[in-house]
Amino acid sequence: MALAQPIPGRSQHERPPLWRDAAVLKWLIQISVMVVVIAVLWFLSRVASTNLAAKGFEVNFDWMSGPANFQLGEGIDTVPNTAGRALWAGMVNTLRMAGAGILLATALGIVVGLARLSSNWLANKIGSVFVETLRNIPVLVQIILWFFIISELGALRNADSPLGESGPIPGWLYISQKGISLPRVFYADGFYQFMALLLILAVPIYFVNRSLHAKRDREGGESIAGRVTLGLLLVAALIAWFANGIMSFLEVPLYAIEDAWRAIPQPLMQTVLMLIALGAAFEFVRRFLNSRRTPAGLAKLTDDDYFRMVFAVVLALAASVIVWIVWPGLSSWIINSGGDFWGWFGDKFGADVNDVTRGSRPIDAMRPTIGTGRFSNFGPTGLTMSVNFAAVFLGLVFYTASFVAEIVRGGILAVAKGQTEAAAALGLSRSQALRKVILPQAFRIVMPPLGNQYLNLTKNTSLAIAVGMTDIVQVGQSVFNKNNQFLAVFIIWGAFYLICSLTISVIVNYINGRLAIVER
Amino acid sequence: MSSSLSKLLALLFAFALVGAACGGSSDEATDDSGGDDAAQTDDAATDDSAADDGDTVDLTQGGGVLAAVQARGTLNCGVSGAAVAFSFVEADGSVNGIDADYCRAVAAAVLGDSEAVNFTNLTAAERFAAVQAGEVDVLMRNSTWTQSRDTEVGMDFGPTTYYDGQQLMARAADGFSNSSEVAEIDGAVVCTNAGTTTETNVSELAGELGIAITLQTFEDYNQVVDAFIAGTCDVITTDGSGLVGRKAQQQPEGEEWVIFPAAPFSKEPLGPVYAQNDSQWADVVNWVVYATVIADESGVTSSTVDDALTGDNAEMVRLLGGEGELQTKMGLSADAFYNVISQVGNYDEIFARNLNPVGLERAGSANARWNEGGLIYAPPAR
Repeated sequence: MALAQPIPGRSQHERPPLWRDAAVLKWLIQISVMVVVIAVLWFLSRVASTNLAAKGFEVNFDWMSGPANFQLGEGIDTVPNTAGRALWAGMVNTLRMAGAGILLATALGIVVGLARLSSNWLANKIGSVFVETLRNIPVLVQIILWFFIISELGALRNADSPLGESGPIPGWLYISQKGISLPRVFYADGFYQFMALLLILAVPIYFVNRSLHAKRDREGGESIAGRVTLGLLLVAALIAWFANGIMSFLEVPLYAIEDAWRAIPQPLMQTVLMLIALGAAFEFVRRFLNSRRTPAGLAKLTDDDYFRMVFAVVLALAASVIVWIVWPGLSSWIINSGGDFWGWFGDKFGADVNDVTRGSRPIDAMRPTIGTGRFSNFGPTGLTMSVNFAAVFLGLVFYTASFVAEIVRGGILAVAKGQTEAAAALGLSRSQALRKVILPQAFRIVMPPLGNQYLNLTKNTSLAIAVGMTDIVQVGQSVFNKNNQFLAVFIIWGAFYLICSLTISVIVNYINGRLAIVER
Repeated sequence: MSSSLSKLLALLFAFALVGAACGGSSDEATDDSGGDDAAQTDDAATDDSAADDGDTVDLTQGGGVLAAVQARGTLNCGVSGAAVAFSFVEADGSVNGIDADYCRAVAAAVLGDSEAVNFTNLTAAERFAAVQAGEVDVLMRNSTWTQSRDTEVGMDFGPTTYYDGQQLMARAADGFSNSSEVAEIDGAVVCTNAGTTTETNVSELAGELGIAITLQTFEDYNQVVDAFIAGTCDVITTDGSGLVGRKAQQQPEGEEWVIFPAAPFSKEPLGPVYAQNDSQWADVVNWVVYATVIADESGVTSSTVDDALTGDNAEMVRLLGGEGELQTKMGLSADAFYNVISQVGNYDEIFARNLNPVGLERAGSANARWNEGGLIYAPPAR
């Protein structure tokens, strides 16, 4: 009874009642928000599935292994066996478009951005016109415009044609209303042997490089390390190009690894996976506590800190449950695909299925050809961009490049003028100042907005449907037109674009982190 | 750490958005199914137990599409807009063609005014989704009746208004003639519409014949024809009527397009489409089509319909609302089919008005009257 009476002077040290305790309230809010979010998602999905079920449509993914029944215009597999395979081919087309578009848009954007900063009147004006025109026309309009332009190019004629083969450079480059075809460069049989030998030869070169650097640090003077290393690497590449055949012995150990991998019993793999999860959680908690350690002992841990540690342990336990109970197939899948990988890797060094010894040329190329016969169409040898692909590609590249140009220009202008002057005062030449002082700082500014442009380009590839390029969206539409699985296809689309965007974000954030000024 | 937490939140937010999007579409679905099954069973229950007027709102919804159209005062009709002679948007914005006329016929029957139609142009890929979402009341978009669409896709099909078949069109300059065979397109770039039966048919046929084609699909049939004119496509394929119509309109001077093979390589019965499980609406649409066919069998045209109303042909008198209550039992006005014939015409008139100009003749084809060797047939009106 007496304890129930608050003692004056000590009351502020006591914990307040639960409903006013900040720590409790914080947790309560976190948990209730999570419950609400999960409840809303559950409710929405219930409503959707009940209504769809009432109409006789159930969302399922069984159709993925069913027949596709249609051909694709281009891609890794134009006559897919299953609907899932068709979607995969569409995804690869989207990824090709996004990857190639990002590379070319960046290169073109940097050139135009630098041109806009140039004191050369002509370059400056061309850059300005490029940017102001292209970024102010919607990308969809540009794509359709490119499609019309390419469709109106000259007809593709094969050698049988009375007008002669079309060009502009017969046998090397064709630009026509049927698309654009270039020589294709590809990895040939000897590529993996070449890379393996190059890697082995690189080891001594690394040590030579290190000792040269050490010598320079000791004795001073002009460094020759860079040039010597480059020269040695070239020699190594030359040796590896011709002598890579000797690496075919790797077939034996790689196949041995494959056999060993396949012999792993499933419980062992499950144990290893569980240990990895638990070990990672343990290591996380250990490092976390270390980071909170001060010379005066362990710092006071906040609720957030506890939450992180508890969360890490719960995740690890959940992973263990998944490995052992929910999804035991995961372990056997890892064993099988690991074995497949090593077998595939071994095949790259051994003889092929027909026991023909591998050729030794690491890289090869084929020139584009035009099939003869009734129709003039590209043969499979060249690297061919269809009209549809080229239209989307050019539209996206030019549109995005105009933004990249402005970002690059802004980034360079944002580096204080004093930096240039300081570099000049140190006696750096103009190109040295640009390379070692201006651009590194400009990159730091440019990277985040550049990442946004990459995300935009990737998502804009879905405009391909306007000109009938077989990207994931078009293939998905064809699929759900036949089986009515709208929701399933939408989920696949959403997940695909989400994964693409998050991957780009992670890469850009990683580069950002590397470029950031380390502050203390 | 805070960045990883924010990533987690962003992920949750993204899922929430996806969920919200799904929820949005399912809300529309709720409206619909409220009209179809759920509300109907509810109504049955309320009628038995408490027959008061507390559920009048539900009852009007329970009437399904027909009540909704009558309340709205216009018919939302999904058409192609790019199919010459079927539903083609003219330069002045009007929509012409056999499909468009059947939209008008349904509007004349339901609303008494053949002009109370709101045409929605739909691509092949989006048409069935539009029907499911209730965006259009009926789809007259030269759509082929197939088993999967009738079942899996959740559509119901009305009587076929045009029996079509898939063919190919190529240039005579490439060595084709009307007697060419499908196998001769080996190596060609073949263009067609995405999400159609023609896409599937030609893919399967190429597999069967063992020929290699590059199949290029576009959303819009206009794009297909444009790409063919430009030369990007060597061959285009779709229903024969679609090829004939475009050849009549768009074949450039000095170029000769040919349509082959002589016998189409697929069956494409085209007709009205509506969402499944609304029998009342299905009956209305079906009998509009049958009314035009019966009028054609009886030789009643838009100019002789007044005479037929008081004439000797008892079936036509019943159909036109002169006696009996066949139409009112369906939820239509007694003169519903009188309006159809007087404002739009009978099947032969509709056919002649739209398909004859592009060179498609009725006589001798599958679209002739059943007693003249064709397949156009209607059950009796009694």
